[in-house]
Amino acid sequence: MIHLSNVSRHFRRGPDVIKALDRVTLEIQAGRFVALMGPSGSGKSTLLNILSGIDRADEGEVEVAGQRLTGLSEDELAVWRARHVGLVFQFYNLMPVLSACENVELPLLLTDLSRPERRRRAELALEVVGLMRERFEHLPGALSGGEQQRVAIARAIVTDPDLIVADEPTGDLDARSADQVLALLSELNREFEKTIVLVTHDPRALRWVQAIYHLDKGSLLEGVEATRATQAVEQTLGVPPRSAAR
Amino acid sequence: MSRAIPLSYTLRSVFQRRTRTALTVAVMALVVLAVTVMLSLVSGIRRTLVETGEADNLIVMRKGATNDGSSMVPIEAYRAVRYFPGIAADPVTGEPLVSPEMVVQPFFYRQDGGRENVLVRGVRPVAFAVHRKVRLVEGRAPRSSSGEAVVGRAVAARYPGLRIGAEMRFGRRAWKVVGILEAGGSSFESEVWVDVNDLWSDANRALYSGLRLTVAADADAAALARRVAADARWALEAKPEIEYYREQADSANFLFSLTVALGVIMGIGASFGAMNTMFAAVRSRVAEIGTLRALGFSRRSILASFLAEALVIALAGCVVGVVLAVGATLAINAALLGVAINLMTFTTATVQLRVSAGNALFALCFSVLLGFAGGFLPASRAARLSPAEALRRRA
Repeated sequence: MIHLSNVSRHFRRGPDVIKALDRVTLEIQAGRFVALMGPSGSGKSTLLNILSGIDRADEGEVEVAGQRLTGLSEDELAVWRARHVGLVFQFYNLMPVLSACENVELPLLLTDLSRPERRRRAELALEVVGLMRERFEHLPGALSGGEQQRVAIARAIVTDPDLIVADEPTGDLDARSADQVLALLSELNREFEKTIVLVTHDPRALRWVQAIYHLDKGSLLEGVEATRATQAVEQTLGVPPRSAAR
Repeated sequence: MSRAIPLSYTLRSVFQRRTRTALTVAVMALVVLAVTVMLSLVSGIRRTLVETGEADNLIVMRKGATNDGSSMVPIEAYRAVRYFPGIAADPVTGEPLVSPEMVVQPFFYRQDGGRENVLVRGVRPVAFAVHRKVRLVEGRAPRSSSGEAVVGRAVAARYPGLRIGAEMRFGRRAWKVVGILEAGGSSFESEVWVDVNDLWSDANRALYSGLRLTVAADADAAALARRVAADARWALEAKPEIEYYREQADSANFLFSLTVALGVIMGIGASFGAMNTMFAAVRSRVAEIGTLRALGFSRRSILASFLAEALVIALAGCVVGVVLAVGATLAINAALLGVAINLMTFTTATVQLRVSAGNALFALCFSVLLGFAGGFLPASRAARLSPAEALRRRA
């Protein structure tokens, strides 16, 4: 599903060149739910942006969902993103002037679907994420953080993408809402077989993901199967077992 | 594949920043108001002067004269010209439709005590047949050698006490108002018509300022004009009445240029206001732009969406400005009975301001231009943002 080979990304800040990613090689199989972790500035979000086609690598090869992204033009990349990637952000990034349902409908405007069909799919996606029907026409400002993130997840899945990328989706939520969002992402992975890549600092996420990739200073340190990591974190933090959280 | 960002997003985004949007709309509206009122004056002048002429009338004046106030045509010339071939005949009397006229410019006193020149036209009864737009709406035509006058609708409105039966003084005698004339808003409504013999007697001279004649339907007006100019006995020239009044409307052309120049200067200021608003909109919505780009909307869609926002603001300014201009022109017409302008005869004509469809269309095009000028740079900045950079800035 995701093949990254020797991917580097540099940013220029004044006279300095910052290596956000340094020859990262990574392979993620389809249908996996994985987390990218690491300290701030380690390159997690940059990696997420590159594998979702939002940003481009300066060096290396990126192939996602059978498409080599390195050779695509700006417009081709936009079309590819619209078809293959669902995006979830820390601050939800909903359009404040559009209702929940209109926000979810937004990516469908890039398809040939009729207006009633777009509406039907948007409502279905909102039902899947568990937003109450009476909230469908509310503006994002009238929704709680957890509800807004549900709307954002509905927007991410409404086009039935192969890949969902989520950049700190629980970073702005309280503990209960964060657990609900993680449970929802896990369910999308299990029930709908979506490949999900999550950037997070949240140790709770470890109980839901299947693998964790650690980055530091732009380098990929290791990929660990989640069971081992979860046990270690749960021991350290004393978080309750996963069944109780659900 | 539909790739446009929905209009509802554009419209709601405009009204999300109410105060800033309202201020920008107000600035645009003031510019549109000023330009539209000026334009309504320009078109008022054009309408008043150009529409004064009849398409098939010629005016005969002394060669080189720019208006009939500075022209002299001897009585003999009138007698000769009226029998030139190609002149239409009165269907009732069979007489040639040639109106010999003399004009003077006495002072009239306004309600506020100020004085200004008014054009008094000495005519014969045939004048009403030659100037077909002129009609008596009250009273009757002046009788010969009786000191009677008819006054134009605008004169009656502008100077106090000029109603039927009233007496007015100009020249060396008193004149009795016996009728009110209308002429479709043209400059004849700013004139006083008296019998030409009375005017000769009062002015103590017996010659005409000019002749107006109607060309027969089957005649060649240009040939008739050439015939007048070719007559060596009098140095006369003839030109179409429409052309004569168009030349009189030169002041309107200057005013139009002035309006356009002022509009450009004010428009630059207003478009900077719109630009400022749109740059603020782009700054405050970097995350939204990044998200839309990340979702797959193209740079062109972003550009179009932000340009549309600027155009919506400009169009709102246009609507408010034109409505205010209509109100302002109605108020000016009601309070001042129109705007007084000086003609090339140094007399005063009253122009009614009216925002025409053409003026509104000009205002619309002007506003679209302002919106485009103010919106393009911010919109292209928004479109140039890369999704990763925009999302990073938000984070």
